[in-house]
Amino acid sequence: MQAVKIVTYRFRRLQQNGFFLALPTIAWLFIFFVLPLVIVLVVSFMSRGRGGVALLPFTLQHYERAFGVFFIILRRSIGLAGMTTIVCLLVGYPLAFFISTRRRRLVQQITLFLVILPFWTNFLIRTYAWRILLGEQGTINGLLLSLGLVDEPLTLLNTQFAVLVGLVYGFLPFMVLPIFASVERFNFRYVDAAHDLGANDVRAFLRVVLPLTMPGVLAGCALVFIPSVGAFVTPDLLGGTKGLMIGNLINKQFGGSGNMPLGSALSIVMMAVVMLSLLVYVLANRRDRGA
Amino acid sequence: MATFDVELVDIVKDFESGGNRVRAVDRVSVAIEDGEFFALLGPSGCGKTTTLRLIAGFEQPTSGRILIRGRAMEGIPAYHRPVNTVFQDYALFPHLTVEQNIMFGLQMEGVDKKDARKRALEALEQVRLLGVGKRKPHQLSGGQQQRVALARALVKQPAVLLLDEPLGALDLKLRKNMQYELKALQRDVGITFIYVTHDQEEAITMADRIAVMNEGVMLQVGTPKEIYEHPETHFVADFIGETNFIPGTLLGRDDDGYGRVKLADGTVIRAQLSHALASEALAVTVAIRPERIGIFTPLGPPDESGERHTPLNPPKALGGGIDASGVTVLDAVVADSQYIGTDTRYTLALGGEIELVARLQNVNNKDGASFEVGQRVNVHWGESNTTVLDQ
Repeated sequence: MQAVKIVTYRFRRLQQNGFFLALPTIAWLFIFFVLPLVIVLVVSFMSRGRGGVALLPFTLQHYERAFGVFFIILRRSIGLAGMTTIVCLLVGYPLAFFISTRRRRLVQQITLFLVILPFWTNFLIRTYAWRILLGEQGTINGLLLSLGLVDEPLTLLNTQFAVLVGLVYGFLPFMVLPIFASVERFNFRYVDAAHDLGANDVRAFLRVVLPLTMPGVLAGCALVFIPSVGAFVTPDLLGGTKGLMIGNLINKQFGGSGNMPLGSALSIVMMAVVMLSLLVYVLANRRDRGA
Repeated sequence: MATFDVELVDIVKDFESGGNRVRAVDRVSVAIEDGEFFALLGPSGCGKTTTLRLIAGFEQPTSGRILIRGRAMEGIPAYHRPVNTVFQDYALFPHLTVEQNIMFGLQMEGVDKKDARKRALEALEQVRLLGVGKRKPHQLSGGQQQRVALARALVKQPAVLLLDEPLGALDLKLRKNMQYELKALQRDVGITFIYVTHDQEEAITMADRIAVMNEGVMLQVGTPKEIYEHPETHFVADFIGETNFIPGTLLGRDDDGYGRVKLADGTVIRAQLSHALASEALAVTVAIRPERIGIFTPLGPPDESGERHTPLNPPKALGGGIDASGVTVLDAVVADSQYIGTDTRYTLALGGEIELVARLQNVNNKDGASFEVGQRVNVHWGESNTTVLDQ
């Protein structure tokens, strides 16, 4: 009797706090997110069998390799993602600032539209376009040669530089949009106030504008850095072997002659990197809010 | 050099907006003295804030010259001008503490942190706001924020302090208190204040001189008393306080600066001519303040000789010692009466569809200075309380 009462009470409470409404979502997340994640985690500690499948016994060797022979690729991925973030910030901030300070609504809308325009074409196709642009007989080399700026074509494609260009190109909107939103909310009276108190343009920017638009900057950096670390289409098409990133490595492990446990271990390492960068983001944001 | 702190010479400011040229400030010239509390008064959009922003250096004049302490300000950016601003919405930096806000300006001058902090604390003491230095602006009340904004500007010891409707966001009671405090503070520090407001009462209570602006034009500059007693234009008379406007025709000008004006019902009265009245003006307006109009009970019935007498000597008894020789007396009917606490406001119907508003203080009801709607009365005023303006 008592047990029944407790069960009904619990049921009521679940009903009240909306548990049943959230149930489909919870189920979805559990089946398609939590469960696969657990599987990946478990597999990452298993041995490699024939055809790259996972077998017992448990082992740490994949993690050893991830931080051993593959460490150079992990470091390159973080480095390239970091560079991508910095370049996106340096290009994106002025661009976002320009867009949000346009007096005419129409100019603002058009420039914003131009930023989003590339999304209308498939990412893969756009990345292939970069191959044409950067290739040995590509548009850029052709232009440089015909202008006599270089004597022989530059090796642009299949370099880390090409990957950087591709990543910046692909993720720039993710930097511009949050900064745009931040600057849009910024009250320019503060710039007047800073000038009034004796700050020149540079100091007004550094002491007032930048700190107050920091939430947008941080969000933009997170939105660019995280997908950049795991990018695999861009390095695959533009980087060749020199621009190989961790995403490509993981991708390969799940192919025909791959190594699923190694791929799983690399995935977990990559996730840890992303988690760490998110942690930095959260901490920076909290400090920014002035807790 | 004169002792002018700020001089505006023929300042014009045009704004482009959607291909249209809008003149925000139209040929404004004024000289503001050292240590003066100068108010720029006008309705919203009259160009007063733009004028202030031109002095601060946030905007550049289309033409004309601005001098601060005799130095031409052309090409000198806001951050090099010896002026500081208290903004309407205070514009306190939300990411900095109160103390850091006040130190900001000093640090820009290169004052080291320790000195800056010390002076920030002194400034907070000056505006009577201690113990909030470590808080963020949003944790303060509107009145406190206002004081911080003041401290942040004053700590820079500017030649001129510009205040853009600084009390606009405060509630009435706080605003009243701050008016006295600001005035006292200004006397204390001796800095020239240029104070933008749309509140005529604020301007009158605080300012040494007021400039009334409308549509970019500075209509009149003078002491509060001059502006109130001798408005030179219809707009100024209307904007400052309450005024009755009686249309009429100017019949002639007397040598003593008065004119004879025929009202709509044919009555001719004498009234003081404004300096700014156009010399050829015929259709004019007579302005008279409601509190300068006295009311007394009508004349008694005619006696045997057919003459009518007033029961008392009304002008003396009610009007407070107006010189009887220069008193205008007209017949009227009380059309409306409104009790507003300290005063009673009477609407009086005169002949020729003229309506006047009179305000009588509710000093002592035993005096019988209380009138019924529909009652026949006489209204009177001293001629010196009138001004003849352009229509």
